[in-house]
This record gives sequence, C-alpha cells and structure tokens, in this order.
Amino acid sequence: MTSENAAAPVVAPPGDAGAENLSWTPAGDQSKATARPIKVIGPPAFSLRTVFTGIRTLIQYSDLLYTLSVFRLHVRYKQSFLGWAWAVVQPLALMGIYTFIFSHVTTVATGGAPYPIFVFSALLPWIFFSSSITNSIQGLVTYPNLLTKMYFPREIIPLSYLAAGLADFLIASLILAGLMVHYGVALTWNVLYAIPIFLLIAGFASAIALFFSAVHVRFRDVGLAMPFVMQIWVFAAPVVYSVQSVPVRLRRIYLLDPVAGLIENFRRAVIYGTAPDPAALAISAAMAIVSLALAYAYFKSSEGAMADLV
Amino acid sequence: MIDLKLDHVSKKYNIPASSNSPKRWYKRGFARRSSEMWALRDISFEVKEGGALGIVGHNGAGKTTLLKLLSSITAPTRGQITIRGRLAALVEVSSGFHPELTGRENIFLHGAMLGMRRAEITRKMSSIVEFSGVGQYIEVPVKRYSSGMYVRLGFSIAAHLDPDILLLDEVLAVGDVAFQARCLDRIGELRKAGRTIVFVSHDLAAVYHLCDRAILLARGQILSDGTPRAVIDQYQRMAFAGQGTSLDQLDPQKLAECTSISFSSPESSDSVRTGYPMIARLGYRAAQSIPGAVFRISLYWPSGYLCAQFTNEASGPRLSLEPGTGTIQFQCPVLPVVPGLYRIDLSIESNGCEIDLRQRCASLCVDSGRPAQGDFYIENQWTVVRS
Repeated sequence: MTSENAAAPVVAPPGDAGAENLSWTPAGDQSKATARPIKVIGPPAFSLRTVFTGIRTLIQYSDLLYTLSVFRLHVRYKQSFLGWAWAVVQPLALMGIYTFIFSHVTTVATGGAPYPIFVFSALLPWIFFSSSITNSIQGLVTYPNLLTKMYFPREIIPLSYLAAGLADFLIASLILAGLMVHYGVALTWNVLYAIPIFLLIAGFASAIALFFSAVHVRFRDVGLAMPFVMQIWVFAAPVVYSVQSVPVRLRRIYLLDPVAGLIENFRRAVIYGTAPDPAALAISAAMAIVSLALAYAYFKSSEGAMADLV
Repeated sequence: MIDLKLDHVSKKYNIPASSNSPKRWYKRGFARRSSEMWALRDISFEVKEGGALGIVGHNGAGKTTLLKLLSSITAPTRGQITIRGRLAALVEVSSGFHPELTGRENIFLHGAMLGMRRAEITRKMSSIVEFSGVGQYIEVPVKRYSSGMYVRLGFSIAAHLDPDILLLDEVLAVGDVAFQARCLDRIGELRKAGRTIVFVSHDLAAVYHLCDRAILLARGQILSDGTPRAVIDQYQRMAFAGQGTSLDQLDPQKLAECTSISFSSPESSDSVRTGYPMIARLGYRAAQSIPGAVFRISLYWPSGYLCAQFTNEASGPRLSLEPGTGTIQFQCPVLPVVPGLYRIDLSIESNGCEIDLRQRCASLCVDSGRPAQGDFYIENQWTVVRS
C-alpha cells in the first residue's frame, strides 16, 4: 500500500477568510494523544462479549440517551392542550372502567383493599411495561434517516422510550400516593420492595423491547402483533384480579410468566406492605439478567444490518 | 501511526424480491429468491494520521457504502476495519433534526448523536448559533426553517466537532457558494490541525485541493490508489470515455485532426503553475495541405462553464498545415487560471468550417504557483508615484 505524500496545497478558498474565531485544538493535544480508542469493526456475529463492549459505548453516549428521553416526553406532549396530564389520563381511565366492571358488574377478591387502589397499583407497572414495549418497538423504524445517515448505539432509541415510560410511571405514582391517602391505606417500610421489583419489570421490558425492536426492523409483523399481544397479556397477568383468584392447580403454569409474579409482588408491597419471597425474587432477578444479556447480544448482532433493512 | 485500516473488506446487499402478496407462501423457492449485490469487494487500504484521503468514482461505485462502513452505520459482510481515535461522520448534516424541536433543542440532540457531551455543547452553544447565522430563530421549531437555515445549522454543529478522524460525504454539495467556501475553509483548518480526513466527493477540484491521496472506486473495487492528480486524471479519462471524443480514435476521412495534446512549463515537463509560462503541444495529422488553419484550445471548469479559450484565430499567425503529421506549439507567457482541474476541448477550423472537434478529450491540471485570489491571476505592477 503506497501513499505518496505529494505536497498537498491546502489552498484557502476565495473569499470569507475565516471571519469566525473558531479554533481546533492542535493534534498534539495531550488529552487526545494518550486516550485514543481503538475500534475494530467486523462482520456481525452473535457473541456475549458484545454486551460488554456495547455497554462501554453506551456509557460514552449516555448524554444522548438522556437528551433523547427528555425530548421524547417533550415532543409527545407538545401542541397538546392537556400536556403532562396525559401521563395520568390513561391509568385513571382504565382504573375507572375496571372499577366499574369488577366491583359493580361482577366482583373479584381484593384481600380487603378498595378496588380502585387494588387495580391502580397493578396498572402502574403494567402500563409502564406494555406501553414502553409497544412504543420502543416502533422507535427504530419511525425515523429511518437516523439509522441510514448517522451512527450512534441503536439501542438508545428503544431505551429512550423506556426512560420516557419511566417518567410517566413516576408521575402516575403521585396519583397512587394520593389515592392511598384518600382511602386511608397505611404505608409500611416494605413499600421499598417496590423499587427492586419495578427494576426487574423494567429489566424484562428492556429485554423484550431490545429483542423485538431488532426483529421488527426485519419483520414488521412484530409491530402489528404487539398491541394485541399486550391486550391479551393484561388478562394473563394479575392486574384486574389477584393471583389468589387463580385456581391452585393452574398457579404453577400461571406463574411461569415472570411478569405476573412481579406485578403481584409489586401490588402486595405497595398496598398490603407484604415483603416478597426472597427466593422468588432472586429467581426473577436471574431470569431478568440472563434474558437482558441475551436480548442485548442479539440486538448488537443485528445492529449492523439495521441501516440496510429499515 | 495508522488511523484507519481496511483489511479485505466486502459488503453484500440482498435485494429482496419485493412482494407482499400471499402467493409468496406457496411459491417459495421460486418467487422469494432475493438477488445479491456486492457493493464493495475486497477493499484494503490504510490512512495515516493526519492524512487526507479522497474517494472518487461514479455513482454506485460504492463510495457511500464505504463511508457507511467506516462510520459503523452498516457492518461489513467480510473483512475487518480498524479505527484509531474518535471518528465523526458527516453523511448528511441535518438528518438528525427533529422538526418539532427548536433550533437550540436540536443542537443538543444532534450534537449528542454526533457524540458530543452535553457540557461540551453548552460550552459551544453561542459559537454554534453565531456560526450558523440563524440568530433569533434559534428558539423556533426547525420545521419553520428555510432549507438553507436547516443546512447551515446542521453544518454549524458539525463544524464544532473535534474528532480525530472526519468522514465527509458530499457535504459541500448543499448550500450556496459562500457556504461551500466556508465548509472548505473549515476542512482546510482541520487539515492544518493534523486531523485525518476521508472525503467523498464529485467535486474533483475540492478533492484535489484538500487531499494528499486519492482512491478511485469502480463497481465496488479499488481501481487506482495514488496522488489525487493521477487518480483524478484517470477518473476523468474513464468518466468521459463515453461522452468525449478520445484522441485515439482517428478518422482517415477527415481533412485534419488532433492526435495528441500535452502541457508543460519551461522548468517541468509535466506540470503547469498559475502565473508562470505554459507551453501546449498539439499533435495533428492532415490529409491535405490546409493554408489557414485555426486551432482552439478551450479550458472548461469542472462545472462545465468555459473558463478560457486560446486560439490563433485573430491574433496568432496563420498556420499552414502540410499533409502528414506534425506538432503545433502554443505558448502562453503567464498562465492566468487558478489552480484546479480543467477539461480540454480541441478544434481545428479552416475558413470558418470546422474540420475536427474533440470535446473533453483531455484534462489540464494547474498547480498553485503565484498566489491568486479570485478566479484569475492577473499580472500587475505597483509603484509609488511621488507628487
């Protein structure tokens, strides 16, 4: 490989002789010379090692994740009259209709809790779970220009929808707190278990979002199927009823869905102040970590082809 | 140090048989077969730190695919790419904009996509706004911007990046003349600061000025790799092979025709410089004697406009051609045209009748000589006149 170093004439273009005082730091800048990252790009392959390299790159781009998540919320409520109130309209409306159905049309056992609180405390993590998955799966294909014209770690797009869903969740949590005060439900320290339980739900949501948003770029069937999968799933999870209502012989199969167990535990920790079974929580945590790692590795292996397929 | 290394890189695209009808389920194997397209085949090259590589080639030669591979937008099918340092790619300067967000918000968003930290963007914000010339409209959603403002803001963000390696794809093709000049200015500054540049462009003059090395791509392969001048020359010969009239094609039916052209200067046999003498030697073949032959050597800008024409029609002596072959020498004491690449047309006329016309049959590469700002070098003298 030869490269003749012909005296390259760097001729300033005519006119406009540098009116702005914009300076480049010289190449010999120490901070640059020492820490020059080496990046090797090869054909995509599924490998768990990409999880570590991916996370390292993701940390470099953490500001983009933050900026994009903030703008997600910002754009979503822009030019809308109710603005941020929309974050609570959906859970409140669902709470209303379920309360009507399950305490006036028919009844379900709530273990003594008022039904509005009973359903709202499960709707919160459920809405976070389902809407951040459905939104993030559409994310990559909504702005194909971003994929074909620029590079940044692609997982930032689905993850930003999850972060936006988290913000909605936090806003709606204030409503839950208000409801609890209104119905006189006492808080115990065990409510803090809601935090790790929620993190596990978020972990599963990220795993599903990463895996299916990568698949969705190739097969748009995913985006078409996801809303109605979620409509079915809401009744396959203990959202509008409690696990206690499930016949005992079916419960083993029922609890194979890790999200079902987590949502039930979330509700118990918040409104009954019950601590979850540590062993069950540990199994959920292990499953969440493994599925997240596998989903992320799959996402990373298909990242290289996304710009060609979108 | 090597900043960029490509090792037998190939890229294949599958072009799916585009059909969404239910028939494809039972027609499998037959209708669903997708075709393959190798956009790049076995590409290997290196770019040294501080080097500036130009990539030229026809549309569809694989230039943009190459840049997309380098910037990780898409992954290679085979081979390996090694990049040393922070890399920024400007494939399209304003593609990361969100129409609903204001100019300021988009600066944050787009800057972050290009890999800038928030603190860095905050620090450079006023400079970015000032450079873009968007001014008071910075708080307006960019969907209300004119396309010019859009592009200016996009480039302004890019101009404030401080990468080790910069990839540029036709960024200069957008915007007005002043904007293009400003782009070139910035890139020139980057070069001086010792950054590594990979530049894809159809603007051959820009490649010639900015790069110290060039690669010619054709149908996904490297056709040549060398000095910008040699590569651009080859590319132009290739590009105009179909359109222009080559000097190799001789037609015995013609009364006379041009057979060769070469440019030189008294001190060098193969280069000419602005502000210095130029000698052109034009080979011809005549079938019979032509008493009053008029020769024209026309220089065209890359854009296709006529830059200058040298002819013996009015001023020069009447040239009489004898049957057989010969050479006409044309001298120009001071070459006024600025450095760059020019297309050459040659013609022979007699009594107002065109005998031979060779369009775009050669190119002239003018190196920088005496400093010239503007379009021409004009010889001038300055003296102090005491009153």
